[in-house]
Amino acid sequence: MKELVDQISARLRDQKIEVPDEEIASRLKKLIDDFRVPESEARRSVLNYFLKEHGIMPLVRASSEKVKISEIKEAGKWVDLEVKVLDLWEPATEAISQTGLIGDASGSMKFVKWAKSELPNLELGQSYLLKRMVTDEFQGRFSVKLNRTSQIEPLEKEVEARPASRAAQAVKVVEITEPGLWVDLKVKVAQLWETNSDAISQSGLVGDETGSIKFVKWAKADLSNMEEGKSYLLRNLVTDEFQGRFSVKLNRTSQIELLDVDVEIGSQAAEFSGALVDVQKGSGLIKRCPVCKRSLAKGVCSEHGKVEGTYDLRIKAVLDDGRRVQDVLINRETTERLVGLTLDEAKQMAMEALDHEVVRSLIESKLMGRYFSITGPRVDRYLLVETINDVPPVTESRVDELMAEVEAV
Amino acid sequence: MAGFSREVARRIFAEELKSSNYSFRDGEEQNQYAPQYLLTPTGAKCNRVFIVATLIEKDDIGGDTEYWRGRLVDPTSSILIYAGQYQPEAAQILANMEAPAFVSVVGKPNLYKTEDGNIIISLRAESIQQVDEATRNLWVMDTARRTLERLTALKNAKPAPVSSEFATADKVPSSAPLQDAERALEHYHTDVEHYRQMTLRALSSLKAELAKNGIAPEPKIVDRATPESESLPTPEKAEPEEKQATRKSKGKKNESLSAWPESENDEEVETFNLTKKS
Repeated sequence: MKELVDQISARLRDQKIEVPDEEIASRLKKLIDDFRVPESEARRSVLNYFLKEHGIMPLVRASSEKVKISEIKEAGKWVDLEVKVLDLWEPATEAISQTGLIGDASGSMKFVKWAKSELPNLELGQSYLLKRMVTDEFQGRFSVKLNRTSQIEPLEKEVEARPASRAAQAVKVVEITEPGLWVDLKVKVAQLWETNSDAISQSGLVGDETGSIKFVKWAKADLSNMEEGKSYLLRNLVTDEFQGRFSVKLNRTSQIELLDVDVEIGSQAAEFSGALVDVQKGSGLIKRCPVCKRSLAKGVCSEHGKVEGTYDLRIKAVLDDGRRVQDVLINRETTERLVGLTLDEAKQMAMEALDHEVVRSLIESKLMGRYFSITGPRVDRYLLVETINDVPPVTESRVDELMAEVEAV
Repeated sequence: MAGFSREVARRIFAEELKSSNYSFRDGEEQNQYAPQYLLTPTGAKCNRVFIVATLIEKDDIGGDTEYWRGRLVDPTSSILIYAGQYQPEAAQILANMEAPAFVSVVGKPNLYKTEDGNIIISLRAESIQQVDEATRNLWVMDTARRTLERLTALKNAKPAPVSSEFATADKVPSSAPLQDAERALEHYHTDVEHYRQMTLRALSSLKAELAKNGIAPEPKIVDRATPESESLPTPEKAEPEEKQATRKSKGKKNESLSAWPESENDEEVETFNLTKKS
């Protein structure tokens, strides 16, 4: 132990740092004895701790260069920037302590400050000298990352920066076709979903007369909760996209205003024609929560716990036209007609077989591989089936038409 | 949460499927979990295939556990499908099915290389279901149309042999199907005319069958299920028609089978004699 302490203290003296031996010894002892850290690791860790305490970076990095934002054209470079914080966003993971937009006279850029950097938070509108950041690139866009070696120095003077263009536009749901835009929406809350992350305070579906869209309200946004069935003016939302489906996010800068008027949720009827290629789990005879109508998993509602469920019949299926797939939901009424099986008969069947899966098997045997044309509103990734018809049989004239097209290639 | 999107089931005639020998993994990360694709000669990049065809034979080729193999015939050729213990529902349905029958199969293409270097393409069935002839006819049309689209993409992808340094502006937006087409051309040197003829053959045999069966030009829609219309023919009512159609087609099976062209390049691995059935 004495040896280790001497080694560390010698290294510290090299850097002109004086630390009492007892302090070094006590940290080492804690790591080695209490936390079973190997000696070599403990030595490294304690040394780094005191170096950092005194503002010295444990490793000598490539020197960074002071640049303008517009000069950043390469990833993996160490840079210093004098910038103003233009915007702060919600970090997507806990590994990130802050993220947002910084700008100087030459332009603006995303920044990411890692939680591990243990750097103080940047304030919106403040100007800083950010030192030893690493440039990064994703899909042609550059960003800078603040890591453990980075430094933040507040500046007295204000850095002149072009403000981020973020005047939110009032739009309709159907007009949301691009991610990363700021929008205002007048909507009604159609559904609230259980959230699966602490970072999200509410999520669900909101809609106006043109359609519905998923929303996410971040916990950090610190906004009041919305209620199902009520209409709101939502200001300053950011649009987002995932696999072709759009959503809006409510963040710290967003506002929620309760509306007196009732926004009617409409939908643009969608059509799809294709082969039914999958009857998914959760099809057939299911039980729903009597309170919220969610389907139960083993008699348990994700919202209301163990409940006495009510039986229902439905189909979750996938139609596929060879180019795209479409998830569809078929309600009880249509299921009964399509399969030729009433809810009561389905219950009877399941009882006799002691297995409700027999109902799904029956549905599968009747529908799988068949071609259907469906219409109905599109909600999230599902098309809620209002009409479903067999695709009309092939006729000779249709074959002739197609043959003519093939001939023309 | 749906963190993935389902692979589209591609429509490919058996002849084209059997001529495929190029498979690769593709995805954001190139590892063993990346999805496997088969690229066909006309540039269908498929992880999943949907086929409606005639099941003409089925065998349990497994040892201790059942392992079912079936042979599907479409207007162009034949293809083998497999279903074993990891596809229990498909295996059970195949086991209980009587050949010949019209079946719809959703499956994953499987590429197998024999010791002497031949490549055999088969389908691992995710699901199998007996369907009617009308569905099979729709599939032939569907597949002909998708093949036609791919052939068109191949034609558009073709010109670029010499003057590659003069990339014109209209070549830049290289859409995904076009990329697949280019990749297919590079690998297979696809003879567009060959697959055009294949498609035409499939359509003309379909047309001949329709003419023979004397299907009315405007048949009524079976099993209409709309919330508006109350008096609907229930599927129970529709079923006899379906059965009839199936039976009728069974009677004509041998006739129409022998009408299908025997493909010359069939012989190496997957020879089967159509005439021995009759």
